[in-house]
Amino acid sequence: MSVMHHPPAELLAGFATGTLDAGEHLAIAVHVSGCPACRRLVRAVEGVGGSTLEAADPVPMKAGAFESVMAKLDRPPSRAPAPAAHDADDGLPAILRRYRIGRRRWVAPGVSMRPIELPGSSRSRAFLLRSDPGTHMLEHTHTGAELTCVLRGSFSHEGGRFGPGDFDFGDDTLDHQPTVGDGEPCLCLVAMTGDLRINGFFGRLIGPFVRL
Amino acid sequence: MSRGFQTIRMLSRTPRSPAAFRPGWRPCNERPRLTVEWATLIGRVADGDREAFQRLFEHFAPRVKGLMLKTGASSDDAEEIAQETLLAVWRKAAQFDPVSAGAAAWIYTIARNLRIDAARRAVRKGSVDHDAELEYLVDPAEPADDVMARNEEAGRVARALSSLSEEQSMAIRLSFIEDRPHPEIAGALGIPLGTVKSRIRLAMNRLRALLDETK
Repeated sequence: MSVMHHPPAELLAGFATGTLDAGEHLAIAVHVSGCPACRRLVRAVEGVGGSTLEAADPVPMKAGAFESVMAKLDRPPSRAPAPAAHDADDGLPAILRRYRIGRRRWVAPGVSMRPIELPGSSRSRAFLLRSDPGTHMLEHTHTGAELTCVLRGSFSHEGGRFGPGDFDFGDDTLDHQPTVGDGEPCLCLVAMTGDLRINGFFGRLIGPFVRL
Repeated sequence: MSRGFQTIRMLSRTPRSPAAFRPGWRPCNERPRLTVEWATLIGRVADGDREAFQRLFEHFAPRVKGLMLKTGASSDDAEEIAQETLLAVWRKAAQFDPVSAGAAAWIYTIARNLRIDAARRAVRKGSVDHDAELEYLVDPAEPADDVMARNEEAGRVARALSSLSEEQSMAIRLSFIEDRPHPEIAGALGIPLGTVKSRIRLAMNRLRALLDETK
């Protein structure tokens, strides 16, 4: 799989430092897990993190901190083991298989979504969006940002063609009408901040149903 | 140990402007002996060496705490994350791969993951059902790397970092690692606010360009 479209560098840096919102974090994690070039960029920022740590002003630990840690060394970790990944339905990336994913819901003809339960509070929402081949998505703009990872199939808009592994970053400056590629359904992970606004009469008509 | 560090500093290639940086600052592009020694200590910790662990603890725990405080953690949280980070160093020492990461970078990622977990736990009232650590792994569907591939990857990352100017690594450090607002960065570096953004972008673009190239 050859990745043509990558996330903005600031989002990759935010991922490397663990400061992204849960939805953004998930979208970047999915992209990075399958993109060697972005993984290297994340490693580079982690490298800067390491040298920053080395240079950080040491702040004395509380009295007894070392003894308290020493006392725990031989105890087994108290945290519960990671939940088992659910079945490889839809051939989802490993990271997604650890998230709880809700029931499929139809949002428009040929288009369905499954909400993803995000850990922690989040300004964003995340869902899997599945569209039939050849679907014309409604022309829309965003009040926030939209992060899309293509998992299967493809879509195109003015920004180019997006296939498996590609990442599409849309913000409120964008006014686009994606078309799903022919041949196979398109499955995407979408993380969104703000709301989707659908332009045009038809959009306003069905708007209440596609509030994702 | 500090003598080795001094030697490396003297041998380093690029001239420095020490006035701009705090004394502890060392650019990330150097791979000093010190780092190798920490890696060796982690190797000994993997064999259950408690004395080696104590040295790692004494060096890194107060620095993790310092970095956490600087990036906005409360004093209690910073202390807890620092303790947990070193406990994780003990438990995961056998997983440390000196080929792919420096010791400090590895410890940095442990602290980062624990901070994400702590933030999630605070919201979920105690139950963490997503270990952040798992989200930084390569998809198992990707071809497995061998030691040579990992070595090459690590070399590429190190070379890219060493090609950054000191100003550029400083910009990445202040903006992303320390998460400082741009006006503060402008003040710290003594540059106009408008230059901060372009310097960060330039630094990231440079890294991207060097790391993007397919083999």
